Amino acid sequence: MTAATETIWQKIEYSPVGDFVASSEWAFPTLETIHVIALVTVLGSIAVMDLRLLGLASNSSAITQVARNTVRLTWMAFVLAAATGLLMFAGKAASYMINPYFLIKMGLLALAGLNMAYFHLVTWKAVNNWDKGVVIPPMVKLSGGLSLLFWVLVVFFGRAIGFTLGMFY
Amino acid sequence: MSDLLFAFTEWLRNTPLVELSLWISNTWLCMVIVTNFWAIPAIQTVHILSIAALFGSAVMLNLRVLGLLWGHLAIGQVAQRFVPWMRWAIVMLVVSGMLLIVGEPVRELINPIFWIKMLLVALAIVLSVFFNRRVSVIPAGGAASLQMRLGAVLLIILWCAVMAGGRWIAYAPV
Repeated sequence: MTAATETIWQKIEYSPVGDFVASSEWAFPTLETIHVIALVTVLGSIAVMDLRLLGLASNSSAITQVARNTVRLTWMAFVLAAATGLLMFAGKAASYMINPYFLIKMGLLALAGLNMAYFHLVTWKAVNNWDKGVVIPPMVKLSGGLSLLFWVLVVFFGRAIGFTLGMFY
Repeated sequence: MSDLLFAFTEWLRNTPLVELSLWISNTWLCMVIVTNFWAIPAIQTVHILSIAALFGSAVMLNLRVLGLLWGHLAIGQVAQRFVPWMRWAIVMLVVSGMLLIVGEPVRELINPIFWIKMLLVALAIVLSVFFNRRVSVIPAGGAASLQMRLGAVLLIILWCAVMAGGRWIAYAPV
């Protein structure tokens, strides 16, 4: 890492927001609490959609129906999780940026995002062909399976950060 | 508030829970957990994923009771879809939670926030069982009563309080 990029993270860390998160007694645990509530809502709602894409649950509802009843909740919770995540990051930005578990988690989030983008922009075009019933094309099942896998790994690596943050210099 | 929690901790320190914690610390299972760096994060991951299944299911059912989601299905159908997941999630939560206690008995058992959380968990489970049973038998096409709608909101808040308790176990004044 170059000296110039280091400064950016340290600047964030020493900003009023970063300083507040790091020094307040209640800010970090409160952010963590909201982050947990938000992320289990992301996980729970996205799993309902993914399990339907895999043909494993909610099969009596069309896939478009399941999407209509989950996606908005997933996004609202994701925004909350991202906002609280950014604030926690601000408190120790430089430490996060040298933590491999944090970096892997960010990579997995990007993969989950790419998988979702491909599904909604490309695969979704033919949704009328597999919307109802349980005969689901392999590409659709792959998207659902990958989404579940990425999100489970995101949770593990997220938890790993809490145990390793001070271990890297 | 923190004085009250301190007093609670002091009281816990004079109960047989201390001996129980020390006994657990010497068990084989505790040794396995404390000597494996990744054991606690891995069990916590299972715990969080199970919370996602439980809370996600509760939110889906309760939002249907409130008339906000799954309008194309009857309340009973939505209950049929999500209540079994809540049951299995509770089983997974109890198992993973007990492993977390065995791994760090003093951190959990001699901790006021842990016991407050347990109280909230017991309350949330009893109320959920009652609530799920009541809403499951609403006839197709029927709406939920005001009481049930209030129950739906209350249960979501209660589960959030349980999660808050779980997170604050790490910050208890001990």
